[in-house]
Amino acid sequence: MVKKRYLLIGMLMVILGSVIAIAAFPSEEKRVKRRFGLLSEWVSRSPEENAFTLLQKMRDIGSLFDEHCELKTDYPALSGSYTREEISAYVGSAHSHVSRLSLKFYDLQIAFLEKDVAKVTLTARLTGRSTAGEQIDETREIECLLKKIQKKWLFSQIEVIEVLKK
Amino acid sequence: MTAPRRMKIRLSTPLPQKERVGVGAGSSTHETDEIQGSNRMTVNSKIRHFFFPSITPKFLARASLVALLAYLFFGHLCIPFSIQGISMEPTYHNGGVNFCWKLRYLFSEPKRPDVVAVRFAGSKVMLLKRVVALEGERVEFRDGKLFVNGNEIEEPYVRYPCDWNLPPRQVEKDAIYVVGDNRSMPIENHHFGQASKSRVVGAPLW
Repeated sequence: MVKKRYLLIGMLMVILGSVIAIAAFPSEEKRVKRRFGLLSEWVSRSPEENAFTLLQKMRDIGSLFDEHCELKTDYPALSGSYTREEISAYVGSAHSHVSRLSLKFYDLQIAFLEKDVAKVTLTARLTGRSTAGEQIDETREIECLLKKIQKKWLFSQIEVIEVLKK
Repeated sequence: MTAPRRMKIRLSTPLPQKERVGVGAGSSTHETDEIQGSNRMTVNSKIRHFFFPSITPKFLARASLVALLAYLFFGHLCIPFSIQGISMEPTYHNGGVNFCWKLRYLFSEPKRPDVVAVRFAGSKVMLLKRVVALEGERVEFRDGKLFVNGNEIEEPYVRYPCDWNLPPRQVEKDAIYVVGDNRSMPIENHHFGQASKSRVVGAPLW
């Protein structure tokens, strides 16, 4: 009886230890996924958010990107290399034109090309409403390249994949 | 589990003569009442047993098998989805629910005018579009009319007015040309074009 109790306590401790270890030391895949979670959170905006929160988000979003991030889209005007400050300013400008914005990522497929380089293919869905009342609903397949710089995964390239070619 | 089994036995196996006399005290009305009462109890216990089954190893195995089959069927073969958007109006309405049958093109190829589900990075978000041209064909729009290889194609599923103009283009190898049924919006605002056949996940069930 006593042995069984010790065995049970031991098993519980092993399970608890494993849970704590997983939470405290996440895998590289989880670390990459978290970056997308933060990007989604900081790009999105709800009508209740005040100017201070938006400013904070705008400032924080730059920290997710490499010093120079390459953007490749089917719109030549948007394609090019952007600095962190430019990205922050762009998101801030976008926030001022929308009353509600939500960015969600689906079907993330993460592949590590090198030790510190990850390629992520995913579906991004941007929904919301502009201040003029127009509905926003855009879905695109995206391929991202993230580099691990100073223990942080940073977006260094974002490419919009053309699923339907007109 | 044990209670209904005991009652079943009581109903199906008549009591010995001596006991019957003792229980019923010679009254046939009492006997009928008892049988009716037992019947009702059996039905009640069966209903109770159906909704609150006893957790036995057999039951757990059966429930696990059902859960596994449901996961495989609805997660990989017949995926439920909700329609968001108006690009397939009036054939498919915004907010409608359907199932994507993934085995639809297991032994055949998509053909005109099939409605197909085209995937993005995975199958959590898909596009629902109609096939209007196949590989090697030349597709164009003239004043809202669809032309394939120079021939006008009748499209009874397009109900809203359309004024699209699109110069002719050839569909590449291993690709299909897909368009939504609702072409009432400007051509720039409609998501359509050629998609690789490998992106076709399946077709809606209805």
